[in-house]
Amino acid sequence: MKVPQNADIIIIGGGIVGAATGYHLARAGYRVRLIEKGFLCAGSTGRCIGGIRQQFTSQGSIRLMLESVRHFSSMKEELGVDVHWHPGGYLFLAHSPEKKEAFLANIAVQQSFGLKDVRWVDAYQAGQVAPGLNIDGLLGGSYCPSDGQAYPFAVVAGYAERIRSCGGLVNTFTEVTAIMQGGGRVKGVKTAQGTEYHADIVINAAGPWAREVGQMAGIEVPVEPERHEALITEGVEYLNIPMLVDYRADGGYFQQFRHNGQFIGCYSPVPNVPGHSTDSSYEFLSEMPKRMLKLVPALGPVKVIRQWSGSYENTPDGNPILDRSPLEGFYVIAGMCGHGFMLGPAIGRQAADFIKSGAKEPPIAEFALQREFSRQEAMK
Amino acid sequence: MASNTDKIICRCEDITESQVLEAIEKGATTADEVKRLTRAGMGHCQGRTCRRLVNQLLARRLGQRPEDQKPVTQRSPLQPISLKTLADS
Ligand SMILES: Cc1cc2nc3c(=O)[nH]c(=O)nc-3n(C[C@H](O)[C@H](O)[C@H](O)COP(=O)(O)OP(=O)(O)OC[C@H]3O[C@@H](n4cnc5c(N)ncnc54)[C@H](O)[C@@H]3O)c2cc1C
Ligand code: FES
Repeated sequence: MKVPQNADIIIIGGGIVGAATGYHLARAGYRVRLIEKGFLCAGSTGRCIGGIRQQFTSQGSIRLMLESVRHFSSMKEELGVDVHWHPGGYLFLAHSPEKKEAFLANIAVQQSFGLKDVRWVDAYQAGQVAPGLNIDGLLGGSYCPSDGQAYPFAVVAGYAERIRSCGGLVNTFTEVTAIMQGGGRVKGVKTAQGTEYHADIVINAAGPWAREVGQMAGIEVPVEPERHEALITEGVEYLNIPMLVDYRADGGYFQQFRHNGQFIGCYSPVPNVPGHSTDSSYEFLSEMPKRMLKLVPALGPVKVIRQWSGSYENTPDGNPILDRSPLEGFYVIAGMCGHGFMLGPAIGRQAADFIKSGAKEPPIAEFALQREFSRQEAMK
Repeated sequence: MASNTDKIICRCEDITESQVLEAIEKGATTADEVKRLTRAGMGHCQGRTCRRLVNQLLARRLGQRPEDQKPVTQRSPLQPISLKTLADS
C-alpha cells in the first residue's frame, strides 16, 4: 500500500485564502498539504470580479487592506507570475445627502488609520476621475486612487506554484469528507477517495463551505453562502474609469481590467439569495447592463460574452473569521463576506504568523470565532 | 517539451500549443483548469474554436480519448450581445 506523505499542516480549500495561507506557511518551512475538492479557484475565488479596495470602516479591515495592497503590488516579483495588479482606484458614488455624510465620516476614519490618499470628490471631479460617468443627481463620491484590481486565477496559481516549490503538496479533485480527531486534538482528514492524511494542524479555508467543514470537526462556523451573479464583456480600449460602486438599491459595481480591457461587474441582489446555488438568471443578464449604462451610457455597444454566479460567504457581522477553534489544532479562516480576494494576501500572512506563534488569542480581536457578531461593516 | 511549430490553439486569446502543454505539465487535467491557467476558452468566442483543440491536447498527454474529457461549463449568452441590446430587452 502506498503510504501518503505526511504534512505538518493540512489546508482545506484551494481558493485565495487557503492558497495565500499555504504559501506563507510553506515559505516558513512547514510541510503544507493543500486539499481542494475541485480545481484551484473552483469556489468563490474563480468567480469574483478581482476588485481590491482599502475603503472599509473598521480598523482591522483597513489595516489588513493596506497590507494586502502592498502584497498585490509586489506579487509579480514575489511569485514570479504577472497577476495584473493595477491601481485603477475605486469610486463610491453618493446620490443622497445621507450617503455623502456617511462617506465623509468614513474618509476621516480611513485617513486616521493610515489610508492617506482616500478623498471626497464633488460631482464634477467625479466626472474627471471617471470619464464618461453620468453625473446627473450625483453629489460626489469617495475616491481612493490606490485601490485596484488583479487577476484571481493568476494569483492563486502563483501561490500554488510556490507551495510546490517549497516542497508542499497540492491535491486537487480531492474532497475532505471527515476530520479525524482524538484526545481533544485534530489528527488529520479523510477524503472521498478513502485516503487518510495525518497532520497536527488542519485549517478550514473552505470559503462558502466553511460551515459544513466545521461541522465535520464538531465546530460551529457561522458562515452563510449568498448567491451573487456577474458578467463580463469583450475587451475594449482601456477607458481609465475606476471601479464604480453604486450602493443604491438599483446600483451595482463594475470595473474594466487594465490588462485586456474587459468590463466585469455585479450587483447585490435584493432580497439576497441564500444558499450554495450558483445558477445564472436571465433577470441578472438584462438588469446588470441597465445599471451599467445608467452610470456610463457610452458603454452601450460593448458586448457581454459571459455570465456566471458565485457565493459571498457571509458572517452575521460582515467581518471575517481568523481564529483557532475549541478543537486543538483546528483553525478557521473563512467568512470573508464578499471581500476575500482582496483580503486574502494579508489574511494569509496573518494566519500563518498566528499559527507559527501558537498564540491562544487571535491576532485581530474583531475576527474571533466566538464573538458577539453585533457590529456591522458599513462598507459591505 | 514545446513543439517546434508552436501552433495557436486559442485565437481569441492568442494562446499557443506550448502554453497549453505547460499548463498540463503544471498539473491541469481538465479543460476547465487549462482555461483558468492559460485563458484558452475565455475569449470572444468562448471556446467554440479552441475547445476541441484543448481537449485533443489533454487527451494525448493524459492518454485518454478526447470524448472522455470532462466538458467545460457552457454559459450564456450563447453569442456576444451588446449591453444596450440586453438593457433594452
Ligand atoms: C460575483 C462575485 C464577485 C466578487 N467580487 C469580489 C471582489 O471584487 N473582490 C473581492 O475581494 N472579493 C470578491 N468576491 C468575494 C470573493 O470571491 C470571496 O470572498 C473569496 O474568493 C473567498 O475565498 P476563499 O478562499 O475563502 O473561498 P473559495 O475561493 O470558495 O475557496 C474555498 C475552496 O474550498 C473548497 N472546498 C470546500 N469544501 C471542501 C472540502 N470538503 N474538501 C476540499 N475542498 C473543499 C472549494 O471547492 C473552494 O475552492 C466576489 C464574489 C462573487 C461571487
Ligand atoms: S478561440 Fe479560444 S476563446 Fe475563442
